[in-house]
Amino acid sequence: MNYFEMFGLEETFSVDLKQLAERFQAIQKSVHPDRFAHASSQEQLLAVKKSTAVNDAYQTLKNPIKRAEYILSLRGVEIPSEQVTFSDNMFLMRQMELREMLAEIKFADDVDAAVFEVNQVLEIEFEQLFKAMQVSLHENSDNSNKSACESLRKLKFYQKLHLELDRLEDLLFDD
Amino acid sequence: MALLQIAEPGQSTVPHEHRLAVGIDLGTTNSLVATVKSGLSETIVDSEGNDILPSVVSYQENEILVGNKAKELAIVDPENTIVSSKRLIGRSLTDIQSKYHSLPYQFCGDENHPSFVTRSGKINPVQVSAEILKTLSDRAEKALGGELTGVVITVPAYFDDAQRQSTKDAAKLASVNVLRLLNEPTAAAVAYGLDKEHQEHQEGIIAVYDLGGGTFDISILRLNKGVFEVLATGGDSALGGDDFDVALVDFIIEQADLERPLSPTIERQLLDQACKAKEALTSNDVHQISLTLTADKKWSGEITKDQFEQLIKPLVAKTLRACRRALKDAEIEICAVNEVVMVGGSTRVPLVRAETEKYFDKTPLTSIDPDKVVAIGAAIQADILAGNKPDNDMLLLDVIPLSLGLETMGGLVEKVISRNTTIPVAKAQEFTTFKDGQTAMVIHVLQGERELVDDCRSLARFELRGIPAMTAGAAHIRVTFKVDADGLLEVSAMEKSTGVESSIEVKPSFGLAEEEITSMLKASMTNAEDDMQARMLKEQQVEAARVIESVQSALNTDSHLLSSDENSKINQAISELAKISQGSKPDDIEKAIEKLNHFTATFAEKRMDASIKTALSGQTVDDI
Repeated sequence: MNYFEMFGLEETFSVDLKQLAERFQAIQKSVHPDRFAHASSQEQLLAVKKSTAVNDAYQTLKNPIKRAEYILSLRGVEIPSEQVTFSDNMFLMRQMELREMLAEIKFADDVDAAVFEVNQVLEIEFEQLFKAMQVSLHENSDNSNKSACESLRKLKFYQKLHLELDRLEDLLFDD
Repeated sequence: MALLQIAEPGQSTVPHEHRLAVGIDLGTTNSLVATVKSGLSETIVDSEGNDILPSVVSYQENEILVGNKAKELAIVDPENTIVSSKRLIGRSLTDIQSKYHSLPYQFCGDENHPSFVTRSGKINPVQVSAEILKTLSDRAEKALGGELTGVVITVPAYFDDAQRQSTKDAAKLASVNVLRLLNEPTAAAVAYGLDKEHQEHQEGIIAVYDLGGGTFDISILRLNKGVFEVLATGGDSALGGDDFDVALVDFIIEQADLERPLSPTIERQLLDQACKAKEALTSNDVHQISLTLTADKKWSGEITKDQFEQLIKPLVAKTLRACRRALKDAEIEICAVNEVVMVGGSTRVPLVRAETEKYFDKTPLTSIDPDKVVAIGAAIQADILAGNKPDNDMLLLDVIPLSLGLETMGGLVEKVISRNTTIPVAKAQEFTTFKDGQTAMVIHVLQGERELVDDCRSLARFELRGIPAMTAGAAHIRVTFKVDADGLLEVSAMEKSTGVESSIEVKPSFGLAEEEITSMLKASMTNAEDDMQARMLKEQQVEAARVIESVQSALNTDSHLLSSDENSKINQAISELAKISQGSKPDDIEKAIEKLNHFTATFAEKRMDASIKTALSGQTVDDI
């Protein structure tokens, strides 16, 4: 049973998150280990297993990046590992620029404003790529799936930058 | 006219037996026990009418004192009287000594298993917690007039795996059946969320600010139709009201012109005075302090509320930074928080309330006693887990507080499960060998957010041996992390490329080994062998009864999922088990349980799948 089937949802990228959350909770109400706390060890183990699978499915479908990756894997498109090099030099150049922007933050006169600014730049570029990926996923042809995969790989770079920005923020404000 | 009892064929006519279950708040400074009685969750008092049990254990020559009696000895006999041991549970010696430099105890044992040297021998923090649990469960059994089916024990949300595991070990030592380890803020949310007087607070986003004696937790939850979904949690497992005392002690030392090291008696006196000052300054603007330094030398001075607030301001600011991070993790804006709930005795400090109120821009809820709210929530959960409310559809979805990962090349940590992931959860990661012919691999499990191994908490280290010799990079080692609903981790590793499986299960290096627990249990019994045997028999009998009951109720509702052949096999195994469990051989009972389990394995799976379908169809009907 794939994750979409598990929640009785259509296998598309656009998922109604509210409906997903409701179904997730309804299913957890029947399989969560808390329901079996007084049951036999066998049932307890089974509940942990089911509940774990449902959590995993929910986390995958809830997060758009993970959902896209999952849909692509259902369509037989594997995402190349991080070690596989990119051929898009423009993109790589841009990544280096963005990294430099991140590194500059701590020298800014107004750190708050600098964080805010970088955050906005990241979000705008993320959105653009995300929309492109959405369109390609929707088209669902061999070529479009390939380009969706390419966008997805790029989006992951942005995700990483975002994480680094978060970490930087924590460091700057925790002292 | 007499009424006949009507029952559907095959259904039991016996009303559901009420099982005794309690919630225990095992706190740093104080502990409590509560239970649900005729629909209301209430704390249970001791013979003197107190519900609060100071978390203090004193080891005397021939007896172990717990609670107030032990607390009285804290000043005169500090070396043998263990206070706030929750701060030390599941921690290494280095950890303890670097964080708390003025503890009056003498330590022994190795780095990962420190113990106190007391008059009644070596005692570790797990044993201290076990004494407190035992005292509370005895109190509950006496008050409720029967044996407890199980307890829910609360732990700080920010407790790491070693601290959780140690708490569970303490329960085992106290012979207490743990239904669930529940996070303290989640317990408080349950108490508020289900409180009849707070109907208006039962939906939306709530932030639980929990500042206890030794720990700080912040949890952000979404409440929706009986579901308590923890979105994020954060905190500091070594920050609490005790730190306010420590700051005060340092202040008094400076004022009184004293110099460390001081005698344990004076240290305890200082702590005592600090504690009193903290309490007095919640309502007064100034407080007098007096110390007896030697028989004929006394010192007295005063502290103002303003001075006190200056001392603790940085600590309060630290809690608010944790709040900021938790909100960010939850992806919730401050203005989206509907309620702020205050938990823990330390939230009585006016500065804490004022700063929290300012930060969230909301008057915090304090209507349920902040000292009792955790125990009250835990009792509600215990009542449900024990099976007393089969129709209740409350559901708690909690998360792990800290990321879990593995050491990779160069002393870096690779995250396997990130913080704030909903539990239970399982994740696997693949690794490979880096040398030709490598046949073993060290697996080092860590917990924490930092990138370097040295900055994270080391949970366990084990070796996977028997990897077939291959060229570098050819082996595929799959390491699986499983976190159960108590938030406890289990790690296994397996080499799969050649089909040769070698796997190992680890227990965190800080916990006690199974054998140690058994031997400690034996040591506490008068007729060790016989008692152990009796205990094992009892355990198997309880499990047998549980299995029979659950299979029978499954047959009552879902026997249509079975063929008549399967049905009769199961029924036969039930009668066999029922007969054998009357006997006195735990091993035989265990075997009979296994046999029944074998026949019901697919049945159980089918039933669970059917219940998912029902849950889903209910949803789809709702949607239309």
